[in-house]
Amino acid sequence: MIQTRDPEPVGRVVATELKPATPHQFHFWTANETTIGIGAIVRVAEPGKQPGKEEGERVVYGVVTDGLAYSDLATPLHDVVGAEGDPAKAAESPTIRQEIRLWTAAVLRQHPEEPLQPVPLGAVYVATDADVAQALRMDAYVAGTQPTGIPVGLYTAAGLEAPVYLDADFLLGPEAAHLNISGVSGLATKTSAVEFLLASIFQHFPAHKGRIAALCFNVKGPDLCFLDRPGALDDADRRRYERLGITPQPFERVRYYAPFKADGVNLNTLRTHPDLVGDVEPLVWGLAEVLDFAEVLLNRDDIDAKADAFIDFLSDRVLNKEFDDGFGGSHRVQSFADLDGLFRAIFDGLELSGRSDMWRTHHIATIRKVRNRLSNISTRCKGLVTDDGPSHDLPWGRFEDRTVYVVDVANVDPLGQDLVFARAVSKLREHLERRDLGVDAVVVFVDELNKYAPGDGPETYVRKMLLDISERGRYLGLVLFGAEQFRSQVHRRVVGNAGTTLFGRMDADELATPGYHVLSPAVKIKLATLPIGELMLRHPHFTQPIFVRFPRPAVLRGRDGVERFPPGADLPFEEAVVRQLVRLDRRIRPNQVKDLIAERRPDDVRRALAAVRRTRPDDALAYFRRMLGARVAPAAAPAREAVPPLNPISEEPY
Amino acid sequence: MAGSWVDAILAAGAVPASYVPDASAGRTDLDEFTGADLVEDAELRTRSVADARPLSPGAVGFLDGIEQWRVVGYGGVTPIVRGYVAAAVRRRGPDRRLCTTSEQSRELAVTRLASLAAPVRRALETCGVDVVEFAAEEAGQPARAIEAARRELERARLALERALAERCLAQLGPDEWLVVDGVLSDSVALSAHPRAVGVIKSHGAQYFEGAELERALTLPAGHRTSVFEPRSRGARRAIYSWYLRFWPWEGNDLLYGLVRVEARAHADTLARASAMSAWLLRERSPLSTPDARWDRLLYPIHDVETYLRSRAPNDLLSHHASRLPRTGS
Repeated sequence: MIQTRDPEPVGRVVATELKPATPHQFHFWTANETTIGIGAIVRVAEPGKQPGKEEGERVVYGVVTDGLAYSDLATPLHDVVGAEGDPAKAAESPTIRQEIRLWTAAVLRQHPEEPLQPVPLGAVYVATDADVAQALRMDAYVAGTQPTGIPVGLYTAAGLEAPVYLDADFLLGPEAAHLNISGVSGLATKTSAVEFLLASIFQHFPAHKGRIAALCFNVKGPDLCFLDRPGALDDADRRRYERLGITPQPFERVRYYAPFKADGVNLNTLRTHPDLVGDVEPLVWGLAEVLDFAEVLLNRDDIDAKADAFIDFLSDRVLNKEFDDGFGGSHRVQSFADLDGLFRAIFDGLELSGRSDMWRTHHIATIRKVRNRLSNISTRCKGLVTDDGPSHDLPWGRFEDRTVYVVDVANVDPLGQDLVFARAVSKLREHLERRDLGVDAVVVFVDELNKYAPGDGPETYVRKMLLDISERGRYLGLVLFGAEQFRSQVHRRVVGNAGTTLFGRMDADELATPGYHVLSPAVKIKLATLPIGELMLRHPHFTQPIFVRFPRPAVLRGRDGVERFPPGADLPFEEAVVRQLVRLDRRIRPNQVKDLIAERRPDDVRRALAAVRRTRPDDALAYFRRMLGARVAPAAAPAREAVPPLNPISEEPY
Repeated sequence: MAGSWVDAILAAGAVPASYVPDASAGRTDLDEFTGADLVEDAELRTRSVADARPLSPGAVGFLDGIEQWRVVGYGGVTPIVRGYVAAAVRRRGPDRRLCTTSEQSRELAVTRLASLAAPVRRALETCGVDVVEFAAEEAGQPARAIEAARRELERARLALERALAERCLAQLGPDEWLVVDGVLSDSVALSAHPRAVGVIKSHGAQYFEGAELERALTLPAGHRTSVFEPRSRGARRAIYSWYLRFWPWEGNDLLYGLVRVEARAHADTLARASAMSAWLLRERSPLSTPDARWDRLLYPIHDVETYLRSRAPNDLLSHHASRLPRTGS
């Protein structure tokens, strides 16, 4: 276990009654000029033994958590006296006072582990690659017949660059799971860290653990829109990739999904450059998809048994069934338009009959509320929710190994984002429970947990679902990678269940919150000043937080992507339809399409286009023509009948 | 080894003891009036060194020594002292930091062998420790014997310092000086070397009387006296000397901040007395606190002492434990 070597010690453990060495902490001094710093891993050898050459010697690994420097100056006043009150003279003293660099280190590991004893007062050595592996207990999972190490970055201190690995069993389940990353916007490189780690997972996820994919929600700007495009790397990045055993390349398989804009034909994403937009699949949901997650649309004031019961009624008894409204009308509800027709029939029927405020045990106020919420989503999320067309969804049951599925909801209304998130994750859970998703594990990356899983505020469906993933996901292979700016303001159970935690540069106010009291002031100041690309890492195998540096992800950054591939301007309706059909069948001539859709209702065109997209026939134009159907002259609007007032308040004429 | 010879004499019948006397109170052989011959002025004058350009050697070695001792046993009423003496030179280069260039230490037993019982004497003689004996006439009374032991230890320290200084002088570079804590005149080599300086903090020996004495001891801060040559005593060599005041004494004591400097008896010393004084004045900073003698103790000398004490055997220091008699169990 112990390597043979002949190193030079860099320090020596000291212990006094006031600062004793304990089984968990020790102090050591070094020369003033030293490579040791906060976060450095050191190795202590038992005194009187040749390091690494005797069996049974006690070896202790520690990580530096604090540092002190002081001189033999008795009081500051003596410095003033010695310099005769002139600070410039103090610097001219012919002799520099004796100084000490005294470091505090937290024990990472002792060998042998039993009996657990105070750290010996021995020589201190800078850790080597092998020491880092030992100190972090990585030897248990990086080597062996079925290694489960996932490179997460390089430990870089004291001139060393040693790879640090996470245990896949503890990052992606089943032993523990989930990753949480926090830090200030722009400087903590949270998104970059996740992109790098996903690449590492895809290249190092052990074969014996099966297939894995990732579902990433792009919730702001173009962050995740160019994962399939190579980014700029410098020599240092390439060296780090090589050290970590990762090939620096963009993701080989990325599937992009984005809803339409309100026009129903232009995609609502920043990945609309003509060279790239062809890869983006539309994400369109109809009534059935929305109704399953109608709870998402209800705020706290709305949550009551009556609304729930009515929504359940609609799902069970009305949707996709022949349904008699009780007023002589028959409905087959398949779209929002159909549903609105049913609602209108109910209101009209009740008003005309004047018999009651109740319809099939549901109060009219409840019906109006549900109608209002449902019509609200179809209005606010027009483009995501189709009023009367077929849906186009993620490939449930056909997820591919080592594939990233990006759902771009950056420009979608917050309500729509909630809906997308709730539905996508619920579907993942359903399929993973049934083991028919196509992969064995899925990493779900959710940024802005401060928004989706806040520690306080109303109970939302999304937060409940995130809690559910956090607490049960590891058994299913549903792994949450969450990111946020203020960890202290995310629900405790969401962050608490994350087996692995990364911290980028932190805000000083955030570090002052109780959750960070376990960190020394020195570690906090390091966190507050962390350079880009460096993170503090906690993992179940590591008894103390470790600082690691990761290379830039080998993908095009979002803001570089929009510069290199500027988003295309929205096309006029006709042009957008032409482009979508041409993408499906290159033989199609634009004029053929334009002739077909001239004077047609846009909704009919959208519906026909969606059918082509879903079916992907060999002859797209012919299928499109068939779906459009024959041209029908617009029907005259029916005369509006006078409707008597519902339940007059009084018989009095005034 | 210390533990072994102490155990051996105790096993041989010496009664165990534990007494650590007060720390060194300075040299005991200079407590007298000797007189001096002025070499710079006709009468002793005070001279300001404020305008003098300080000497600025490229490197300086600072030499000091320590002695630590403990009465570890009694043979009858004759004390057996375990002593430790050490000396070191710490060199300061252009980086202004001190590092040890040479050091030497010695452990010894001080007693009067003839006054000890045969088994104790044999134990001492056979266990390999250096034994230094004080005079037979000092052995009768324990208090005198302890004082005699202390003088022997002091002699051993001075010898160690002298040997180390002479060795260091031989290796001194052309732009390198040696500052010694104490007199130079004990050593031929030291007293003749052009770049050796002695800084004396204790003023047991007096060289003036009357108005000149008053002028010397009421020297203002930042001033020196005229250079004088102390009259030789015994084997002492010719040396030039002057007083120098580091800090204002008013409100403290006549000797507060007062040192006496010794350098080679040579015309060059006369010419450089103010420059050397200005240099030494600069050495006031940093202060050598918390040492009680900080007003006269140069920081580098304090540093040498700290270094030597940190390397001395720690069982020679006084115990914090109670000296109450032990209970029966």
